[in-house]
Amino acid sequence: MVSTAHSAPAEPSVAGDDSVACLTGIHYGVDGKQIFRGLDIAIRRGQVTAIMGPSGTGKTTLLRLVTGQVFADAGKVIVDGRDVASLDRGALYALRRRMGMLFQNGALLTDLDVFENVAFPLREHTRLPERLIRNVVLMKLHAVGLRGAAELYPQQLSGGMGRRVALARAIAMDPDILIYDEPFAGLDPISLGVVLRLIRQLNDALGISSIVVTHDVHEISQIADMSYILSDGKVVASGRPKELEASSSGIVRQFIGGHADGPVPFHYPAPAYYEQLLGGATR
Amino acid sequence: MTGLGAELLASGRGFVQNVGATTRFLLHLVALTPAGLLRFRLIVEQIYNAGALSLVIIMTSGLFVGMVLGLQGYDLLQRFGSEDSLGTGAALALLKELGPVVTALLFAGRAGTSLASEIGLMRATDQLSAMEIMAVDPMRRVVLPRFLGGAISVPLLTAVFIAVGLFGVQLVGVQFLGVDQGSFWSQMRGAIELGDVTEGLIKGVVFGVACSLIAVYEGYNAQPTAEGVGRATTRTVVISAVLTLILDYILTAIML
Repeated sequence: MVSTAHSAPAEPSVAGDDSVACLTGIHYGVDGKQIFRGLDIAIRRGQVTAIMGPSGTGKTTLLRLVTGQVFADAGKVIVDGRDVASLDRGALYALRRRMGMLFQNGALLTDLDVFENVAFPLREHTRLPERLIRNVVLMKLHAVGLRGAAELYPQQLSGGMGRRVALARAIAMDPDILIYDEPFAGLDPISLGVVLRLIRQLNDALGISSIVVTHDVHEISQIADMSYILSDGKVVASGRPKELEASSSGIVRQFIGGHADGPVPFHYPAPAYYEQLLGGATR
Repeated sequence: MTGLGAELLASGRGFVQNVGATTRFLLHLVALTPAGLLRFRLIVEQIYNAGALSLVIIMTSGLFVGMVLGLQGYDLLQRFGSEDSLGTGAALALLKELGPVVTALLFAGRAGTSLASEIGLMRATDQLSAMEIMAVDPMRRVVLPRFLGGAISVPLLTAVFIAVGLFGVQLVGVQFLGVDQGSFWSQMRGAIELGDVTEGLIKGVVFGVACSLIAVYEGYNAQPTAEGVGRATTRTVVISAVLTLILDYILTAIML
């Protein structure tokens, strides 16, 4: 069943026991711009949850709220039963050790080779013997198909390979929650397919919960258990991908169909076109 | 006039805020230092990057500064018939002023810019954010080793600069211009006191802390854009150079 902003969401419940992350009544603004106006999202344990929406709707900001990089002006962000805003630095870092995040650009450490990038969190947080670290790193790299690239440096990798190395690094500490920020952006069809399958396989094989922020509606629909569409600072629709595809909601139809005309304006707010072209101003 | 006054007030307020923020940044680094010293390997890597890789430029500059000092010093002292004092004069100039100041300026230009742009680019490419998400404090893992590596390197580079500079003075004064070798070295040994060496050492340490602090602060707080990183790099050189000269005056006034 699809929930839209016009019909109060009954599914999913924001305060379910099976929620690994729960954002309730979130209001957040920066530099005078209000990004969220009462956002409610629940991330179910063991599921792949897709967060979608037009550019500038705060999808990446949502991830920053979940990871405690920014804090909401109002509302609660509960991750693994703990209120992120109330955690001190030590507790926040302890929580983050149970998360892995794949950045849009990979964010690999450029002065370290692939092996050392994946070993980085292990070396920082554990006192494992070198042989064990080596085995864990090789296993993680094998999982993403890049065991043979262990000695390459990030600048020698293609975009897709870099994303997969970053994924190996994100799972190095066996996290409970894996967060993906635009994992498909700029990938060729083969790399995209590989990353897509990896997200699902890792989620199921490791028993983790995945949050995927993406624009790629059709790709993520193949693997997501639950999708949320954000617009205008709140969730405008949520449901299973198949349900969203069958939705009659204008905003869902526009987003999934990729139409320029619809509830979400294509143009950024601007003065009247005619007046601006014929006006005396230089810009 | 009102506009000018408001602008002056705003820039004055900005200056005070910057000084406050930099001081807080320094105190944060000082608080992290005891734990940071335990990971000495990271600091050694940075001593290599900031110090060892600066050796060529420091030695080359030291040699030519010493040689110029030899020529100018000889020309001046010859007018009073006291060219045998060339070694003493040059050694005092190198130990107390030229060594620490020129080394700090060269360090800011070579290693300071490198530190600022490296950290700034790490910020712009989300590497620092990635560390935060991996529960690794970038201040502890990235900034502190670079700060300590730079602060340790400058006094060492200063010593190298002075030694090579003295060789340059000797090369020109004794080998080329014919100053008596015995007088050159013995007068120098007789006149230089431990306090003169200490003064140079203190300046080297203070300039090292100042230049490294400015570099890591500007890099860490750079806007995450190409322009922001470029601006941080430029600010590193300008602020480090001006700060070095101001601190030099203050330290000289205190230690004279």
